[in-house]
Amino acid sequence: MVVPYHLLTECGNVLFAARGSDIYSFTPQLQHISTWKYPSARQNGSSGPSSAPKASPLPEEPPSKRRKVGAGQDGDTSVHENGVAQPQAPVIEGRKNQDPSHQERPFIHGLAATTDHRHVVAITGSDKTIWVFEHDGQGNLKQLSQRTMPKRPCSIAITSDNQTILSADKFGDVYSIPLIPSPSNFTTPDATSRSATPSAPHAFKPQANEFTVHTKRNLKALENQKLGLKIKAADKPSEPTFEHTLLLGHVSMLTAVAVGAHPATQRPYILTADRDEHIRVSRGDPSQAHIIDAYCLGHEDFVSRLCIPPLSPEILVSGGGDDDIFVWNWAEGRLIARASVLEQVQKVTPDAIKVAVSRLFAYSEEGSATTIFVICERQVFSTLLFAYIHRKLTASSVPAVFGYDLSGNQLQHIVTIPTASNPLDISTLHRGASQFPDVILAVDPLVSAEGTVGASLIVLTRDETGLSLHPDLEKEALVIEGENIKLEELQKILYATESLRKTSDFE
Amino acid sequence: MAPTKNKRQKREDYRAALREESVTELPRKKFYRQRAHANPFSDHHLIYPPSPDQMDWSSLYPDYVVEGDPMEQNEPSETAADQSLRPVKPKRLSKDVEVADIGCGFGGLTIALAPLMPDTLILGLEIRVSVTQFVEDRIKALRAQNPDTKLYRNAGVLRANTMKFLPNFFKKGQLSKIFICFPDPHFKARKHKQRIVSTTLNSEYAFVMKPGGIVYTITDVPDLHGWMVQHFDAHLSFERVSEEEQEADPCVEVMRTETEEGKKVERNNGQKFVALFRRLEDPSYDAVV
Repeated sequence: MVVPYHLLTECGNVLFAARGSDIYSFTPQLQHISTWKYPSARQNGSSGPSSAPKASPLPEEPPSKRRKVGAGQDGDTSVHENGVAQPQAPVIEGRKNQDPSHQERPFIHGLAATTDHRHVVAITGSDKTIWVFEHDGQGNLKQLSQRTMPKRPCSIAITSDNQTILSADKFGDVYSIPLIPSPSNFTTPDATSRSATPSAPHAFKPQANEFTVHTKRNLKALENQKLGLKIKAADKPSEPTFEHTLLLGHVSMLTAVAVGAHPATQRPYILTADRDEHIRVSRGDPSQAHIIDAYCLGHEDFVSRLCIPPLSPEILVSGGGDDDIFVWNWAEGRLIARASVLEQVQKVTPDAIKVAVSRLFAYSEEGSATTIFVICERQVFSTLLFAYIHRKLTASSVPAVFGYDLSGNQLQHIVTIPTASNPLDISTLHRGASQFPDVILAVDPLVSAEGTVGASLIVLTRDETGLSLHPDLEKEALVIEGENIKLEELQKILYATESLRKTSDFE
Repeated sequence: MAPTKNKRQKREDYRAALREESVTELPRKKFYRQRAHANPFSDHHLIYPPSPDQMDWSSLYPDYVVEGDPMEQNEPSETAADQSLRPVKPKRLSKDVEVADIGCGFGGLTIALAPLMPDTLILGLEIRVSVTQFVEDRIKALRAQNPDTKLYRNAGVLRANTMKFLPNFFKKGQLSKIFICFPDPHFKARKHKQRIVSTTLNSEYAFVMKPGGIVYTITDVPDLHGWMVQHFDAHLSFERVSEEEQEADPCVEVMRTETEEGKKVERNNGQKFVALFRRLEDPSYDAVV
């Protein structure tokens, strides 16, 4: 299967694009600079010092849920120009039920760059890892750290001082970790983190002992029990060994985290969105992050994206499973405006019943209005006969990007840019020639019957009259080879937003 | 075990009869039994307002509804744009709910508090459908039994998952008392996130409470008591209420003796652990000087 570029971020004059588990960098002319490859045990031929799978003496023990990748914290894996990283192999613990279809290399599903363009942060899914890279300004990445979080991160944000990463996870918690881990070894997690579990609960102790148990069978059972405890203790997911602080938590899966500055006081705030329609506004200072100052409530389906336009920092645009996108005065938790996405999507794909916003991107130019670009997925009635009769819905994507003008606290649809194939991500690209930044789209390329792959990065050029679609030319940069992944699996990863919807919505 | 058809039939007949006649007889628990646990993480078929100002309280507290055209009661600050954004304007009450009994179960505490605080609206919140139905019928019957004294008009019950949706029902600083009585202990370490008290969840309790408001907790499980104390102590928005003040509070006695679980523990000569926490004023968050 062809894996497209699915995440974009501009960092200085370099475009970083994630494709599968790897990060590619491009010049503004879309010339490929270098690639950071996700360290793969298989690729290197050596399986690393993997702890040998222990033969379980307790056959009834359930198989471990997820594979763990050892946190080689300071693996200094440098990537040279056009070179491929030669990283240390991660320790992959043997999964007891080897699922042949499971991803060997987890996809990158979050990519962010610091505002000073000196660092890039990425998150990978199934191994729950946050990666920090040093960017040399020329498009080359040097891996600084690899930190495995307690739960799978869903979204990350970098604070305005470029010192701290906020990681929002699937379990509903937001952790802050320093961008650059302090050199001193982090030893006491309880001293700095207000952990959700201030103290370990009393470990289970068998009440019986050799003196109270006599029969052969009971003695054997006791022995097994003790052995089981020992193994459990060894297998226990240890607390992360790096500095991390639990700032806040929802009882719901988090979908997005953003950092805002109060328009009046300039104090930082953390905005978090969850699958249960909430957008929470908490104080951003770590010592006061437990204080919620407001909620932005009004969504009637999950929230998947938050966007604070750089030129209107008092405003929050949010989107999710609702028909509309919402505009908030986030500091007061007040709804200012809403604009329909479904209506616009139906003009492109009339069969759309529901939409799910998968990207919100603010495009702004100095001294002029902000355009909010929306990428979304839709739900249609299934065409399979059985499913059709039962009016089942299936998720599908929308081959267009929608532009909304944000001015005077109103959000107005101004442009629909149809694309040949499905857009996946959007970013700006300063191409130098024009005073206006261009917009770059990552799309799921069309594959013809002969197997030729269409463009995967498309540039929208900006001139005085507006944005125009400009399918890109530099094909070399975009040649992407197939990867060992099934179509359904890839679709599930690339179009995951609709899956946040609660199934009970349709019953 | 699912109830046999016969049993289910009986249950339905009973409830239908109760609803039809204007019975003043109290409902019987045996027709409302339900499994003791509900997973707070799953998406139950819950009904909740998108935001507190769209919550319609009128069916819960009909005696407190402010009559008249709701459009006239709009605050002058509301512009036409605001109204178009929030098309649903529920009827207003003359006062807001101020006391919440989280996980009210069969409603012992909610009902015992109602005559004690006749001028305060009290709301029981429960995640289990049948149990909520029981409390609803119980309140209905009690209201019918006391037509002259107007007792129990201030008590209501709602089915809700408060761990997720508390801010959907209550505005910032709306509540003065929250009761958390005999919560599910969730002994296993991996289930601790399901406990109703945790440092991160306490932030939500703090949000809906006014400064000076009090969270009441009671349990018969020493470990859970330790856990709740630890997590409220760790939260900077709360401070523990002293022992003397705790014992002077009339609500504590009610909580000890009137909750269903409290009575059960009494029968079994179990212990009860009480802890009260006061919501503190938030520190200012102005520009750094």
